[in-house]
Amino acid sequence: MRLLVRFYGRFLRYKARLAIGFAAVAATRVTDIAITLVVGEALNRLKAGEAPSFLPRLLAWFAAWGLAQALFSFLQRWCVVSASRFVEAELKRDLFAKLARLDFGFHDRTRSGDLVSRLTSDVEAVRMFLGPGLMFALGGLVMVPVTLVMLARREPLLTLVMALPLSLMALSFKLLYGRLHDASLAVQEAAGDLSHGAQENFAGVRVVKGYGREEHQAARFAEVSRRNRDDQVRLARARGLAHALSTGTSQVTFVVILLLGGRAILDGRMGIGDALVFIDLTMKLFWPVLTLGWIAGLYPRAVASAQRIEEVLGRAPAIVDPPGARALTGFDGSFRFEGVSFTYPGAARPALSGLDFEVPAGSVLGVVGPTGSGKTTLLDLFGRLHAAQGTLRMGGERQDELTLASIRAPLGYVPQDSFLFSDTWRENVNLGADAPLSDERLAELARIACLDEELARFEAGYDLRIGERGVTLSGGQRQRTCIARALAREPQVLLLDDALSAVDTETEARLVRHLRAAGAGATVVIAAHRLSSVRHADDILVLSADGRVAQTGTHDELVAAGGWYADTWARQQQRAELEEL
Amino acid sequence: MSATDQDPAEELVQGKAFDLRLFLRLMEWARPHAWQFVVSLLVLVGLFAAQLGGAWLWRLTLDGPLEAFHDGRLPRAEALRELYRYVAAYAGIVLAYSWLSYFEIAQLGRAGQVVVHDLRSALFEHMLRLDLTWFDARPTGSLVTRVTSDVENLAELFTSGLVVLVFDLAKVVVLIVLLFWLDRELALVVTAFTPVLIGVSLLFRGGARRGFREVRAHLAKLNGYLQEVLSGVRVVQMFHREERVGARFAGLVEPYLAANLRTLVLFALFFPAIGLTVLAIQGASLWFGGHSLATGDLAYGEFVQFWFYLAMLVDPIRDLGERFNVLQAAFASAERVFRILDTRPAIAAPEGPAPVPPRGGDLVFEDVGFAYVPGQPVLEELSFRIDAGETVALVGATGAGKSTIVNLALRFHDPDVGRVTLDGVDLRRFAPPALRARSGLVLQEDFLFEGTVRENLLMGRAGIDDAALERALDASCARDVVARLDGGLDARLTERGATLSTGERQLLAIARALAGDPELILLDEATANVDSATEARIEQATKNLLRGRSALVVAHRLSTVRGADRILVLHRGRLREAGTHAELLARGGLYARLYALQFDDAEA
Repeated sequence: MRLLVRFYGRFLRYKARLAIGFAAVAATRVTDIAITLVVGEALNRLKAGEAPSFLPRLLAWFAAWGLAQALFSFLQRWCVVSASRFVEAELKRDLFAKLARLDFGFHDRTRSGDLVSRLTSDVEAVRMFLGPGLMFALGGLVMVPVTLVMLARREPLLTLVMALPLSLMALSFKLLYGRLHDASLAVQEAAGDLSHGAQENFAGVRVVKGYGREEHQAARFAEVSRRNRDDQVRLARARGLAHALSTGTSQVTFVVILLLGGRAILDGRMGIGDALVFIDLTMKLFWPVLTLGWIAGLYPRAVASAQRIEEVLGRAPAIVDPPGARALTGFDGSFRFEGVSFTYPGAARPALSGLDFEVPAGSVLGVVGPTGSGKTTLLDLFGRLHAAQGTLRMGGERQDELTLASIRAPLGYVPQDSFLFSDTWRENVNLGADAPLSDERLAELARIACLDEELARFEAGYDLRIGERGVTLSGGQRQRTCIARALAREPQVLLLDDALSAVDTETEARLVRHLRAAGAGATVVIAAHRLSSVRHADDILVLSADGRVAQTGTHDELVAAGGWYADTWARQQQRAELEEL
Repeated sequence: MSATDQDPAEELVQGKAFDLRLFLRLMEWARPHAWQFVVSLLVLVGLFAAQLGGAWLWRLTLDGPLEAFHDGRLPRAEALRELYRYVAAYAGIVLAYSWLSYFEIAQLGRAGQVVVHDLRSALFEHMLRLDLTWFDARPTGSLVTRVTSDVENLAELFTSGLVVLVFDLAKVVVLIVLLFWLDRELALVVTAFTPVLIGVSLLFRGGARRGFREVRAHLAKLNGYLQEVLSGVRVVQMFHREERVGARFAGLVEPYLAANLRTLVLFALFFPAIGLTVLAIQGASLWFGGHSLATGDLAYGEFVQFWFYLAMLVDPIRDLGERFNVLQAAFASAERVFRILDTRPAIAAPEGPAPVPPRGGDLVFEDVGFAYVPGQPVLEELSFRIDAGETVALVGATGAGKSTIVNLALRFHDPDVGRVTLDGVDLRRFAPPALRARSGLVLQEDFLFEGTVRENLLMGRAGIDDAALERALDASCARDVVARLDGGLDARLTERGATLSTGERQLLAIARALAGDPELILLDEATANVDSATEARIEQATKNLLRGRSALVVAHRLSTVRGADRILVLHRGRLREAGTHAELLARGGLYARLYALQFDDAEA
């Protein structure tokens, strides 16, 4: 509840819209009453035997109220809903900005589908409740006392008795609500089981077919479907009950009007012409009460959604600029790891431990080791994507005292998964640069990344769309685009995470030559599975399966020393030979 | 349409508001539940009758005792008695109406859901019978959509769509007839305005559909970008581009917001427009009715009745546009669903399938050629045989076609050239489920389903008792895996057995194959690394699995290869060498080199 109040603060930025909207909701109701009264007056006067010559004047009033109502009805919807849409857009932007900043540890633990649903269905639930829901319910309530007063002036007793079923209805909603809620939860869960069951069978269709179990699995699914049907029927019943109760009470009210109104007419306390007014106003009176029922239904979902949104908005990124952070200046490209260890949150054992080594400025460091030995995590540490223990120095300065912007500015990073955006080649490379690159510069980067010939084959050139709704690049082409993107930064440090695995050996050799020429003076860190990629490194770090440094040395030293590196090298050489067959 | 047709257009079916062909097919599905729909219709008729009757009673009361007393034609006591009679009748109608309004929701919902359940179950069963190639060509997510939201759209067709639409139209006609009967002049006024009302509703329908489509398209872009950034958050942060992607996202939010506001204008205009039209009708009625009332041509009660009928007339017309949109979505879904139901699997049982030989049997590949993509053969001129009780190991580099051979042996695909036979009978002569049920399959990335361990081991196969399960668990060295789980055989596994380690899942997959005591084993050995203790158990389990059975094994384990009766060495879809381990090593050919590469230490 408190959370929803806080979120309502976002709506208050649109005070003018809300004020107009609120007034318009109330005004719409009031004009509604006025229209009924005009009709009532006409009928009463006609019934009293007056000549219809007064009708034009009354109809003019009728038209005026009608036009006013149309205007207010437009305004209420426009003002309230548009304000809620603005808030929705803002919430989405804020959530996105926060997600982009949250540390990698958070993203590792959270399913992306879950985050997307926070930006979509949760934002929608909060918008619906705080925007149109609240406004229509509150605005509509304005009508209840006004109408009751109007009716009471004509026939107090009748009005009093009428108010009874009305409050009964509000009460019955409260009672029914639990049942409706349970039934709709059950339906939602059953729907989840359905899609889960389908998903599982389609994904595991090889096993299903392999055992010839199509019929059995179909029968199981039919069982889930049957449960879903029964839950749906139960929900329909609960909804039917709510519907019957609300129609029932409103209908009973009409019976009361007929009875008491009829008596009042017989007693001469009410004109026959007022019958229509009572009927019409009663119909209109039920509307805000129904709205209340509707918004009561939205409430629990809105509270839950607000919590889920706040979980993201209220979370502080684990990695931020430390207090009094300095910008890194005069960086030479050297790193020193002094007793650096890192354990992923919730992990039983450290991903990296006791790292002590130096990367001199302008040197090439190779990082190798079996799968899961922490190569990617080690590269992450160069850009402080994780908060590690121990001291990591960049150009002699403690990394954890520097601003994130200045830590990451000199780094050119090529990820293992060759992540690219579904965008043009140009925009993907521009991501690395601080300002959009000229075509000349793009051409140079394409040449260095050995992509120039392949790009020339596409008509769109640098504006070639990649990914969804575009062309699918091969793994090697993706990797080389990532390299171009990293080089666009003119990096002092190049971090390559298994960046050449999908590139054939010949291109690899050419690429390495280009990189040497282009990145002269840059520090290079290469993590690789294929040992030929680190063969020429100045120093090679062999990580063990438990995240420690097992061996260091140059390629020749490591081959001579024997162990994991020498064995793996021999095997990879043989495999290469076999592939030549 | 053949099963292998790739059809990316499936998602893009737009649907007409009404399609007779689809409608008739849907009716076929509704027919077994015809009485449900009859009852639904009766409920609607009852409701309508009660509504009409209620308005009628008002008129009778107003023009009867009240008017009579007013004119002095009736003494008060008698007028009161008569009033009570009418009130009692009205109360009866109101009760009936409320009672029926429960069934309006409950019964219509039920009628839709029973049909949906039938259709969904049948659709799912049909899909599971389709070819693997059909599944491979389609993302799982979109297949799930077919049996969930598409089928649910069809429910809408039955509940809020067709039945109500047809009934609404009938209502409109009846009401207009009644209006004419009540007062010709007033009725003419109403009928003159009705086309305007319908026009506004239909105009809105088109606009709303376009608007929603636009909003959805922008939202999809927004979510797509979000997904992308979430999957590339490492790159975004390493390049320190949080602000740039944020600005880009904000740029995508703008058109989404604008589209929403445009749709909003439409909605904000629609309701006042309908309201104004209704007011115009009411105003005109007041004008003409007022004059008739003054002259006494129209009784006051009749006017009230008219007023009621007018209110009843507006709702169905206003909802017309929305009902059309529901229909359109439903027909688009129906089209997608029926397209799947019309797809016939290429791999299916022939007319009068041959009985699968009871036990033993030689599996023979005769000059088999196969390509997934025409022109790019995966297997060529492949011939070999597995005699009963013999273990044949397939060895070769990645992409040599080993898994494809397993697929052909199970008849997941049919060979393009040549044939695969069992006991001399072409596999195409058997019913696929019967053929597959006699073999035990263990996949590289085996799949466990949500459910208990027992369910996963049994897979609904009859005739496997607990003793057989225990034997299978022992032979597969999986007894401790199950013992460790809370609940043993009845412990629930989560999605894909995520709570188990890779090695444990492999052991359970072997247990599953063993449980059926199959005569032919098809084993695609996993390559993933497991710790050495688990490795030893998998090795032992594999030995037990293969002992005394015919087996075709895509082998990655040294022990499996050594234990095989025969080794087939494949290279680029062709059989290059065949023989026992010792023979092949002695030959010093491809196998010898592969062996040196893959099996010379425990690492690989």
